[in-house]
Amino acid sequence: MIDIVISMGLTGAMLAMLGMGLLISYYGSSKTRNVGLFFLVIGIGLAYYITSVDTSTVHFGNAFIAFLGGMLGGIIGIVVFLIAIIKS
Amino acid sequence: MDMNLDIASWYWMDFFVSMLIVGIGVALLATGIFTSYFGAGKSQKIGFALLFVGILDLVVISVFTFDAVEGIESVFDSELFTDALISGVSALSGMVIGMFVILFVLMKVDTVDDLEDLDLEDLEDLDLDEELKKLEEELNQADNSTEEKE
Repeated sequence: MIDIVISMGLTGAMLAMLGMGLLISYYGSSKTRNVGLFFLVIGIGLAYYITSVDTSTVHFGNAFIAFLGGMLGGIIGIVVFLIAIIKS
Repeated sequence: MDMNLDIASWYWMDFFVSMLIVGIGVALLATGIFTSYFGAGKSQKIGFALLFVGILDLVVISVFTFDAVEGIESVFDSELFTDALISGVSALSGMVIGMFVILFVLMKVDTVDDLEDLDLEDLEDLDLDEELKKLEEELNQADNSTEEKE
């Protein structure tokens, strides 16, 4: 269980670093852009660790579709809430 | 980490569908609590309906997973469901922690562009009184010219 927590926690952090790094390095000012590139490098480092160094037996595909399913379910739930409020 | 990318061999039902239903339930529960507490009149009623549907959703998925009621066959494997729940929560927690780290670094790092390029000496040399006098003279000249034309 702890393997899943560590591996998927690192995966979540990697996604945040890559996504925010891309945004900041593209839209940031001259100084902020360097910070964005720094986050991108950390994200790539985490991706390398997860894919090559991590020796746990956690199945990435299954764990990732669980995360995707949860996110998608949350979005659908909020859409249902918005429809209910707007239609009322 | 097992990076098997054979999509056909992934447990879509136990990992994806179960978490999809849990995600809908949690979102409806959260929005239902929020709307029923802060809403008034019709909105509050909708909030209670959302809350009820959210609770029902979570109860149904627990019944279909953990054999809570006799006579109802379980649809999801309980161990895989637990793994899926831990995976989803862990990834979400990792994302939140990553975002906090990013915000912390952005706040700590000096992200304002340098003002070295701005030549402040030009501003210091400006005599504002002289500039005002010049402007007044220009305005007076413009007024005089319009009066002469009339």
